[in-house]
Amino acid sequence: DSHVQYERVGADVTMKCGSMDWDAAVTWMTNGTDIDESHQNGSYLILKKVNLTQSGQYSCYEGSSWHLKYQTSLRVGMPPKEPVLMCRSNNYPKGFYCSWHLPTPTYIPNFFNISVVHGTREMVCEKDTFPKNRCHIRYLQLFSTVKYKVTLTVTNALGKNSTTLTFDEVAIVKPDPPESVVAKPVPNNPRRLEVSWQNPSSWPDPESFPLKFFLRYRPLILDQWQHVELSDGTSHTITDAYAGKEYIIQVAAKDNDIGTWSDWSVAVHATPWTEEPKHLTTEAQITETTSASTSSFMPPPTTKICDKGAVLGSGAVAVCWTAGLVLAAYGVLFI
Amino acid sequence: MAAADSPSATLRRRDLCSRGIRLAGKMRSDVIDLLDTYVERQGLDASASVAVVEGVPAAAVEHWDEQSGTQRLLENLAAYRTFRTLLAQMLEEQREQLGEADAGLGRALAAVLLQVSAFAYHLEELLRLESRGAPSEEEAGPPQPLHLGLFERKLRGLGVLRELAQWAVRSARDLRQLAKPSLGSSSALSTAESP
Repeated sequence: DSHVQYERVGADVTMKCGSMDWDAAVTWMTNGTDIDESHQNGSYLILKKVNLTQSGQYSCYEGSSWHLKYQTSLRVGMPPKEPVLMCRSNNYPKGFYCSWHLPTPTYIPNFFNISVVHGTREMVCEKDTFPKNRCHIRYLQLFSTVKYKVTLTVTNALGKNSTTLTFDEVAIVKPDPPESVVAKPVPNNPRRLEVSWQNPSSWPDPESFPLKFFLRYRPLILDQWQHVELSDGTSHTITDAYAGKEYIIQVAAKDNDIGTWSDWSVAVHATPWTEEPKHLTTEAQITETTSASTSSFMPPPTTKICDKGAVLGSGAVAVCWTAGLVLAAYGVLFI
Repeated sequence: MAAADSPSATLRRRDLCSRGIRLAGKMRSDVIDLLDTYVERQGLDASASVAVVEGVPAAAVEHWDEQSGTQRLLENLAAYRTFRTLLAQMLEEQREQLGEADAGLGRALAAVLLQVSAFAYHLEELLRLESRGAPSEEEAGPPQPLHLGLFERKLRGLGVLRELAQWAVRSARDLRQLAKPSLGSSSALSTAESP
């Protein structure tokens, strides 16, 4: 017969060798290794103040015949501490979900039971397939002033614990953050950034249950955020950006009437439009371009060429020149 | 119901709904402020649980999303007419109980009563637009006497205001449903006729 034996960390454990008498000659082994006789009292195995590393298979063999007389799996663990329970509605008015976890591991299997009561009515919390420590409930009533009471009980072989949450329908409403946040410069506007986003896809009916939004933005070089609250629409133009500075932007959402703000969205970065650097030549620049023959580089006379993507590094200069004038200069210098 | 579906009627409905939503929002905000004042002045615990109060229209509803526009309007109107009576009663009791000692609470109650009356009238307008007409009010006699002690009356008042705050949220949602272009209140006449 194989058994499982659960014991608390720090406990003293006594294992009997099945039905063998106390004075029978036996040998105890764990995970294929003999256990020293000093841990035996007669045929009993004594383990003092067990720790987690002592979990494993323990076997007892009759002294002379080496017949296996008893086997047990020792699982050292802890009774559960008070579980952490959270309930939230990110899909109002459809329903809400509750999720839970233990603050510290028990190292042995735990079983969770959740009960949800609304007034006198018991409701079923349907377990999610993933993640496993979560279940969801559909609202049967809306606009109720009666509170919901959710009790989570966790049980294992060494004990049990529970926690209860009581809340009303609106207190737990918290949308997911807005999605697809995009920030773009506005052409010819060095102080503007156009930001747009979408309602979180988990919010089922934004038309009947509209969301409002909170936008925050700052240049990377500063710590202070600017904030704007927007009661409708899913776009906004920032008009006071510092020219040429890269910005970080985030958006949060909240139901117009109830609940709390979502977490901040994923941050996006954008830099306002900057004017192209004008006609700019240096001797160094002219020297760099001598290797190209003038015949192989003949832009149309009226074209302005500007290497917009040029990285400004030490010594390099972004070039933007009117073709006719510079070619004439080349002709003078290098023919 | 052809008139209710005309473009001008649709625009008028949408306009009334928008204004109604704003009214409901303001009313809710004022009721929440009133709740704080009421709890403080009446010496109550803000987290006190109040059992279902008889005679107070409960905002809670099942299958809310399946209601027709007319049903929404009728339920809202019945509720606000009842709140009008309940608030008038509370105002009277408050004056008897505290007299001039708490004119602030009295003024706040009166202000909310005014908004409730205005909102009820607004709902009547919407019903008229639906060519339904507002149902006549049940006899507007004196409210039935409540044989409650002082503390029970205070708790009842708390229940009234909490439920009213919830109704204000529901009303805004109801009006948004009503304002949706695909759902005219002329569709699917409710079988729930006026009381």
